Formats: sequence, structure tokens, C-alpha cells
Amino acid sequence: MEKLKYVGQSSVRIDGKEKVSGAALFTDDLEFGPDLLYAEIVEGPHAHAMINSIDTSEAENIPEVLCVVTGKDFPYNFGLYMKDRFIFAQDRVRFFGEQIAAVVARTPEAAKKAAKLVRVNYSPLPKVLSPVDAVKKDADLIHPDLKHYEHVPWFFPKPDSNIAHHRKIRKGDVEKGFAEADYVLDDTYEVPRYAHCAIEYHAAVAKYDHSGRLTVWASSQSPHTQRNLFASALAPMGITHNDVRVIAPHVGGGFGSKAGVTMEIIAAAIATKVKGHPVKVLWNREREFYNTYQRLGVTANLKVGVKKDGRITALHHELYWDAGAYVEYGANVVNAVGLSAIGPYRVDNASIDSYCVYTNLPPGGPYRGFGYSEFLFGLESHMERIARHLGIDPVEIRRRNAIKAGDLTAYGARMNPNGLQQAIDAVEKEIRWEKKLVSKDPDIAIGKGFSLFWKAPAMPPNTSSSCFLKFNEDASVNLLVSGMDIGQGFLTVMAQIAAEVLSVPVFKIRTENPDTDRNPYEWQTVASHVTWGCGNAVKLAAVDARNQILALVSRTHYFPVETLFLEDEQVKCMTRPDFSLPLKDFVIAGIQMEDGTFKGGPIIGRGVFMPEYASTKANPETSQGGHPNVHYTVGAAAAIIEIDRRTGKVKVKKIVEAVDCGKAINPDLVKGQITGGILQGISTVLYEEMKFDHRAKMLNPNFTDYKIPTSLDLPDEVVPIIIEVPEPDGPYGARGMGEHTMIPVAPMIANAIEDALGIRIRSMPITSEKICLAILDRQKND
Amino acid sequence: MALPYEFDYAKPASLQDVLVLLAEKGRGARILAGGTDLANELKQGFRVPDVLIDIKGLAELQKIEIRDQRLSIGALVTFSDIRLSGVIRDHAYVLYEAAGLVASPGVRNRATMVGNICSAVACMDSASPLLVHNAMVHCLSMEGERLVPVQKWFVDNRKTLIKEKELVTHVSIPLSSVKCAGAYQKMMRYTGEDLAAANVGVLLFADGRCHVAFGSVGPTPKRSAKLESHFKTKGVNKGSIEEACAMLPGIIKPISDVRASKEYRMHMTKVMLERAVIQAIDRLKVPTLIRG
Amino acid sequence: MKKISFSLNGEQRFVYITPNEILLDVLRYKMGTKSPKCGCDTGDCGACTILLNGKAVRSCLIFAVEVESQDIVTLEGISRDGLTPLQKALIEHNAFQCGYCAPGMILSATELINSNPHPGEEEIKEAISGNLCRCTGYQPVIDAIKHATKKH
Ligand code: FES
Ligand code: FES
Repeated sequence: MEKLKYVGQSSVRIDGKEKVSGAALFTDDLEFGPDLLYAEIVEGPHAHAMINSIDTSEAENIPEVLCVVTGKDFPYNFGLYMKDRFIFAQDRVRFFGEQIAAVVARTPEAAKKAAKLVRVNYSPLPKVLSPVDAVKKDADLIHPDLKHYEHVPWFFPKPDSNIAHHRKIRKGDVEKGFAEADYVLDDTYEVPRYAHCAIEYHAAVAKYDHSGRLTVWASSQSPHTQRNLFASALAPMGITHNDVRVIAPHVGGGFGSKAGVTMEIIAAAIATKVKGHPVKVLWNREREFYNTYQRLGVTANLKVGVKKDGRITALHHELYWDAGAYVEYGANVVNAVGLSAIGPYRVDNASIDSYCVYTNLPPGGPYRGFGYSEFLFGLESHMERIARHLGIDPVEIRRRNAIKAGDLTAYGARMNPNGLQQAIDAVEKEIRWEKKLVSKDPDIAIGKGFSLFWKAPAMPPNTSSSCFLKFNEDASVNLLVSGMDIGQGFLTVMAQIAAEVLSVPVFKIRTENPDTDRNPYEWQTVASHVTWGCGNAVKLAAVDARNQILALVSRTHYFPVETLFLEDEQVKCMTRPDFSLPLKDFVIAGIQMEDGTFKGGPIIGRGVFMPEYASTKANPETSQGGHPNVHYTVGAAAAIIEIDRRTGKVKVKKIVEAVDCGKAINPDLVKGQITGGILQGISTVLYEEMKFDHRAKMLNPNFTDYKIPTSLDLPDEVVPIIIEVPEPDGPYGARGMGEHTMIPVAPMIANAIEDALGIRIRSMPITSEKICLAILDRQKND
Repeated sequence: MALPYEFDYAKPASLQDVLVLLAEKGRGARILAGGTDLANELKQGFRVPDVLIDIKGLAELQKIEIRDQRLSIGALVTFSDIRLSGVIRDHAYVLYEAAGLVASPGVRNRATMVGNICSAVACMDSASPLLVHNAMVHCLSMEGERLVPVQKWFVDNRKTLIKEKELVTHVSIPLSSVKCAGAYQKMMRYTGEDLAAANVGVLLFADGRCHVAFGSVGPTPKRSAKLESHFKTKGVNKGSIEEACAMLPGIIKPISDVRASKEYRMHMTKVMLERAVIQAIDRLKVPTLIRG
Repeated sequence: MKKISFSLNGEQRFVYITPNEILLDVLRYKMGTKSPKCGCDTGDCGACTILLNGKAVRSCLIFAVEVESQDIVTLEGISRDGLTPLQKALIEHNAFQCGYCAPGMILSATELINSNPHPGEEEIKEAISGNLCRCTGYQPVIDAIKHATKKH
């Protein structure tokens, strides 16, 4: 093994100083001068209705209002995987609060005032609120034009239905598998919608100048994808990719909510109507809840056949996703789960039906975990049920079925090398699984729960990352990438990788969030893929720069290039210990020869990475034949909880989580993801709950009543464990792990609750109220 | 961004000036102390005034003091002040305990207790403690002072007995000559800041009297005479507590809303009542100064 | 329009406002002080926390007119003479991720440390309990505050 100096170190974040000093600027912190305009959105007060007419005349007469735009101004579809979304509603609204129009004014006050005066006439339509209703034969259609929407080739919408996509797996012989089983257990699990709750709102400022340049500043996980979607949506107006520039300042949390394109396109579109002015669209907390993306809800019917020894013989997983009014991004969540809903197990006979269903609720989209938290809530709850049914230890049953490198995944490709067994062992030991805990307080019940997790990046097969690396005179480096540091520490990790290759200290590497004009292409910062994908690009760029350096020194100093290496910001030679040449002497200036001429010039590295083995080409009836997922990251986790039997209140005492990240480029940042992800997971299972009224209006779009945890709601102890079974094509063996950390939390808490009380709750969230009422119910029935 | 309504602002230098202004503006005036409720109400367009009268210039309203065997808490006393006050801890422990559960420190640094009972949102934390402590609300106007027992103060959700042109200058609590101890229990969705889905205040006296008040389980917070006479006749013990819990469905009328269902509220109120009374019993045994 | 003046980060400043303007907005959009952030506008998240006369308060719940002659400190003011031991500890612990909650969190912690130089873990948790952070799970922040305030 090569000895590593920077990779594997818990370096401090390169943006730490900026963030603790108040220097870090977020989109709404940027100044645009006195010519800045403000847009206010007009929202529809129906979950499903036809728009008969929109009267903007009164609003237009308000002083300081420049214009009012509506769907008529932008009759364009857009979307990441399926073009089913509109900048403003066209002839109908499909969820409560959907944008109908926008007022652009000199002041936010005037825009707000005028927005109230836009008169819209609607004819309400029947609304469809659950996926189970929406797939019924006579259900009202939410998108009658579904058959005309453009989409990626691996989606299979059902025309004249509410099913936007159906991902189907047929592997092995499921009937035979169930026939061979000693037991077949089935259940239905329900996971409702959730909100991301990044503390910073979505914000976008756009300017379309008189030369035809469209610049957008946005709080975004996806600058290049935004550029692409803006350019393609606005192409009818003559806008090209070359005209669009997206600049991404710091992002105050993403968790998927700022991936793809949501409200940013409103700013971009409006800007084209007020040429020359920057125009700001700022969301607020309420809209943050109901008009960005929400995590999709799901109803999952799960049937598993097992032998007496616990071995799984067959699995059928049928998932109905409440994907909301528009599924341009959310449908890929459905797809990802369709490919992976066997969980981290070896299942020879599997069938999966994952249905993406339109409903009249806010658009569903990416959320940390991308569907895996949702289906694993059911599957890992079910594994517990099976273990109890068979009288096998819940850890043991998982160990027996856990997927190994080389086993076939649900779509028939081979599983990557992984440390799942090590993770199970490490967690079992640290939580002291075998030890039964009993409280002295009769009101307190103690329980332990276990869960495995896995997740693959869900990406198009041609997803790519790239990097430019430039040296400065003092041998400091500018690293240009277009991944986003949304808090996970991406930029620090990229700097560590470049530092390692170039032997330049991390603090001498500057890398910042991108500007699509200056920084090379990156698909998006989603799918926990950037450490792996962009990390590869950075490593390649650094190697490219290193090769240039060594070649130059070889050619000017006449050493064979293979004897040269970099150490401590110098070029050294294995055969000449006395030789060393500081990088700063020549990385810009070049090397002077005896005749006074200079050789070389600025060192600039370039790296591009695309996983060339990935493919979504497969039989749509079985999904066999392709290689849609590049790899899976796996892990295990366990929890100890205390429940107050009288109130149902849960206190999390200890959580242990082991994740196999291949190589922890920065262990401290890996641990940070674990600590943060676990609390987010705890929050979804115990506290967060969206409520809608009869009109499908969200009742609690605020932190007063949608509760995310405070510093008083932490587990007493979190033990992060890092497992490192290298990913063959990862930079230094690394693979992603940011999203994964929250995935096991909900089922393991549900399992711990069952362990403590003997009560199985199959629907999230598991609030203290739900637990308490279940206890009372049982008492009543006893 | 400015709120979409316009209003004036005045910060009088004397109590007299406040009263004059109040008399002049009547309903058009709203009193601004900590402003934490007020700012949110105005953002929602609720009760928008013509003028905000900021009373923070009046030092006399900042006092916590004992006068004539009564503990008086001024209109500018914040929940943080309450948490730092030994006098309140010693003489109004239920209030002291409740104050620590109001919102979060950053809000407690600004929010006042008097403001809390003037906004009178059903889930407020101060009401149950003030009810069990038999507090009196002191309203002042050009016509003089008017005293309203806190038992009568709350009329409905967000409605009190305050009259136009009146200012609540302070709240006073009689010092007990009998040793007493109390407890406050609050139903929250988690440990962190939350509005009470229900709350219970209990004050137990060494002579056997037990004051009990509930919040958030009806349009207004209330003392329960029924329970108090139950405890008086049966004494305060395991059996009587159990009976008291069983009586609750006839006493409180919780509803279902985004925070909790009525079933859970009812059940939790029973648990909280039991726990608060037991806590009070235990605290009464402690031979310290703590009285309230 | 009303002219108000107050001390902002040690400097006497004035600004013209109307009584219906919220302090957070005035600081951010009229005075160029960008560290207080908006995360809810209802007093629930703490991102807008500032020190008003030394106390951590929510600037989204304060009218700008109220701060006439008062003393306000934001994170810019804390950082002016170099980073404090608390800020250094936060960097060392990689305490923040996206950093959006940082300004509010640091000011809440600053009030705590000023009144209680060696707080216990529970006191730390209580002091920052009104500052929501969706990224970190809080523990690294708590650890950093503990580290910065431990007795030597
Ligand atoms: S913005 Fe003030 S508390 Fe959230
Ligand atoms: S670090 Fe992102 S909200 Fe705290």
C-alpha cells in the first residue's frame, strides 16, 4: 500500500474559517445594486383545477410594478428525466400552492401587494390524493398528456393512466422460490412524505442582459444541470447553452431539495421579460415545504419466503409511490428503488414492481437516501418479523442472507467488493447485542434494534465529472470543479486528493463553489457520487499535472522520468538524493536552460471521469441485462432506546453505525455525515409529520409544527465506525456515504420499539402519540 | 422587507404618557414589550394597530419585588429574568419551572410573562402557574387601577378581560403563609422547544389544599374546583390521584389539531396530573425555602 | 421615515426606517450586515440571532425602531479582531457543515460563555437549543464549545 500523507487525514475544512467568521456568502447575501427587481409568486388555491382565466390588469396598475407574467408567457415543459413540469401552470393546477403567475416590481412590498390583486378563475376538478386511489381504473387523470411527454429511454410511463413509470424486476423463478419456502410472510408498510428542511431557503437571482446573456445566481446542488435545463427550456426564445451562466455561492443545506431545477427556473424565465435588470426570487419557509420537492411517500406490499434456517428463497416487493403533481425528478427515485428493493441481501428469486404514481400533492423529488430509507423501513422491519417468527436472532438472520461481493444484484450484475459482514460484526460487538437491558424504573421499557442498509448512486449511465487544476507562482493550486459543497465537505476532500498526488499541503489548495462559465462540467451534486466521481476527475487532473511536471524536469535536467517523484512541494529523484527542485521555482515561470531559454510554462492539469461500464440497456420486463448502478455502499447500525410506557416518549440512548466508505478520505468528515444523518433519520421516524387538510393544503409548513430536532433531542451517544473495503474504481478506494447514514435509522428504531414493547408499528412516523395509543389499545384488548 | 401595513411607533418616557396615549388611541394602540408574539401577529396581519406603544422605556415595569406580602412581576420581566430570579424560584416555583420551558433561550431573553398572558394563546405556558399561584392582574388606565384575578382573566383563545385604554403593569402573587410546593408539566412532541399541546400546574400546600390548573385542553386555561375539592376531601395520595385522573374526562375538553389528537391529549393530561402531584408531594418533603 | 441610530459592532450607525420594518431585514438589506440569516421569519430557527445589549435575541421578531440607542453585535463584530477561541475550536472540530446556522449558533454560544465561562454539557445544549441545524446533528458544535470553555 502506498503511504498516504493527506488522504485519510482528518484535515479541517477548507471553508471552516469562512463559515465561522460570517464571511461565507449565500445567494440572498449577494448585492445586486439599486436596479434589482423582486418577484412575488401568485399561488393556486386548489389541489386540482382548470384555470379558466387570469386577470392581471389590476396588479399591473400598482405603482412600481414592471410586469406580471403567467403560464402563457412560457408555454414550455421542462424536467430532468421527464418533461412534465411547467414554469408556471398552463391550463390547470395540480397541487395546492402551485405557481400561476409572478409579479415583478421595484420593491418586494409592491410585488407582494400586487400579487394579491391577480384574479384567477378556476373550475375545480376531483383531486387524487393517494397512489392507491390514483392507480384505480376510473381514477381522474392528472396528466392527460402523459403520452406526449419526453423522457429518458429507461422510463416506462403508462399512457392514459396516472402511472408515470413502472420499474419491473423479474429475477430467477419467484413462484418456485415461494413454493420452496417453509414460511411466507407478507405485510404492508407505509412511509409518508417528508420535507428536507435545509435552513436556508431556495433563492435565485437572474439577469438577462442586453447582449442576450442569462446569468443566474442560485442556491443549488446542480449548477450545470440547471444551465442545461434553463437552456433547453428557454431554447424557443433563442437562448443557447453558451448564453447561460449559473453561479453558485454557498448553499445552506440541500439534502436533495436543491438538486435539479425547481423555483430557479422562475427567476431565469422572468429575467427574460425584464431585460437588463437582475430579478430576485426568494422562497420563504412555507413554500420551502410545499413548493420545492418533498420526499415521496410510499405504500409497500412486501412478501418474503424463507427456509426454517432463515435463508430467503423469494421476495416480492410492490411499491406504490405517491410521487405528487410532477415527477420529472421523483420518477427516478421510483426507478432506483425498483432496481434495489431486495435490500442488501442475496435473493435469487425476486420480483419488484415499483410504480411512480401522480397525485395532487406537491411534487416529489430527491431527498437524502433517494427512496432507500423508504423501502428499507419496510424491508428491515420485515426482516425483524421473520427473525422473530423463526426464532432466529435478528442479527444472525441478516448475516446469513447478507449480500457478498460477486453475488448477483436484482438486475443481474455482480455486487461490488464490500464490508457488509465486517459492519455487522463491528456493530453487533459495539452495541453488545447479546446483552439484554432492563430498566429499574417500571415506567421505562428498553429495546434494541438492528438494521442493515445499502444504496447505490442513481444516475444516468453517462454521468460525468471533470476538473481543471492550475498552479500559481507560489505552487499554490486552484482546483476548478463543479461539484457543490453543500456542507458535506466535498471541497475539502477534493483538495485532499489533489494534495496527495501533488504533495502540496491542503491549505495551499483553493477550491470554491462553481461558476459554469469557468469551471468544467459536473452532472450534479447528488447520489453521494461526488467524492467518487469528481474525486476521480480531480485525481486524474492532479496526475496529469504531475506528469507534466515530471516530464518537464526530466527533459530539462536529463533524469529518466521514472526516477522522479514529488515530495514536500518539490521534485525529487530516487537516484540522486541530493537533488530537489521546489515547485514554486517553475510551475508558472518554467525552467531556465543554460542558453538562457525557458522550457515549460504554466502547469495546468485536466481530468475527466465517466463510468464507462454503466448501462441502462435492459429488458424492460425484467430489468436484466444492463449495469444501471455503478456500485452499492453498505453498512449496518443498531440502537438502544428507552420508552416511557406511560407517554410513549422515546429516548435514544445509543446508536452505533458502521459504513463501508471504501476509503475515508477525511475520517472526521465521514463521522460528521454519520452524526448528522443519524439525527435526520431519528427525526423522520420519531418527530416529523406533514399534515394536510381536506383541500390538500399543508397545515404545518413551519418549524412551529413540523418539528425537526434541537440540541436537546440528541441520542446520548453515537458511535461511528468506518469500514474500508476499497472500491476498485474509486479514488484511493473511496465510495460515497453521505446519504446512507440516515437510511437504517427508521427501521432500527421501529425494531427497537418492538423489542421494548412487543408492538410492531408499520407506518411512519412513529411519534410518541402513535406509540402511546398503541400501548393503550393493547391494554384495552388485554 | 417592511410589513405590508403602516403604523406609528411611540416610546413614552413615563407611565402617565403611556396612559394618555392609550386613552387617545383606544383600540388603535397595541403595547409592545418583548414583541415576540406581536411581531408574528403583525406579520400575519392579526390586529394591526395604528400605533405601537413601546413600554421598554419604563424602568418601573422591569421590577420583580415583594411588596405587602405579594410578589409582583412587572410587565417588562422576561422569562429569562424569571429564570434568574431567586425570589420567583422561592415564592412561585411553578412559574419558575414553566418559564424554563418557554420556547428557547433566544426567545426567553425577550418575551415577557405579561405579554404571554395578554396574547393569551391557548397553549401559553404562564397561565397554569399563575392560576395555581392565585395571581392577580393589575390593569392601569387613566381611570386608575383595576384588579382582575387571573381566574377570570382568560375569556377565550386570544381574548382576555383587558379593556381598551388599559395597560397591564404587573402581575402579583400572594405569598403563602403555609409551606407549599408545586410542579409544572408540559406536553411536548420532543424535548426541544415546542408549544404545549397540554399543560398542568399543581401547587400543594402543607395544610392539604391542592391547586390544579390545566392549559391547552380547552379554549382557556382553567383551575379545577372539582379536583381541588376532591383532593381536599380525599387527601393527596396514590388513591386520590388515581381517582382524580379518572375524573378528568368530565373536567377538560381537549380537541384534536396538528399537535395532537384529543385522545392523546386526554391521556397525557392524566399522566401529567399524576406526575405533577407526585412531584409536588416529593418537593413538599424537601426542607428548603422553596415554597411556591 | 424615521432616523434611528445605534451601535452596530462597535460603530455608531444610523439608518432611515419606518416602524413596520423588521430588524433582521434592516441589518441585512439596509446596513450590509449579512451574517444574521433568515431561516423561518417566525422565531423558530435562531438563524437570525444577534446580540442585543449582550443578550442573544431573534432579530426577525424585533422591529428596527426598537433598537434606537441600543447596542448590537453580529458575527461580523465578533470576528473583527481575529477569531475567538470559540471560533477556532469550531474550525478544529469541523463543527459546521453548510454553515448557515453558524452565525446564530455562535452568538447564542457567545452569550452563554460571557455569563458562564465554563458551562457544562447540559448548559451548552440548552443555550443553543433554539438554533436549528439540519446538517451536523449538533454534537460537533457542542464538543467544540466544550473544548473552547474547558478549564485549563
Ligand atoms: S429567522 Fe428568526 S428565528 Fe428563524
Ligand atoms: S451546518 Fe447546516 S444548518 Fe447547521
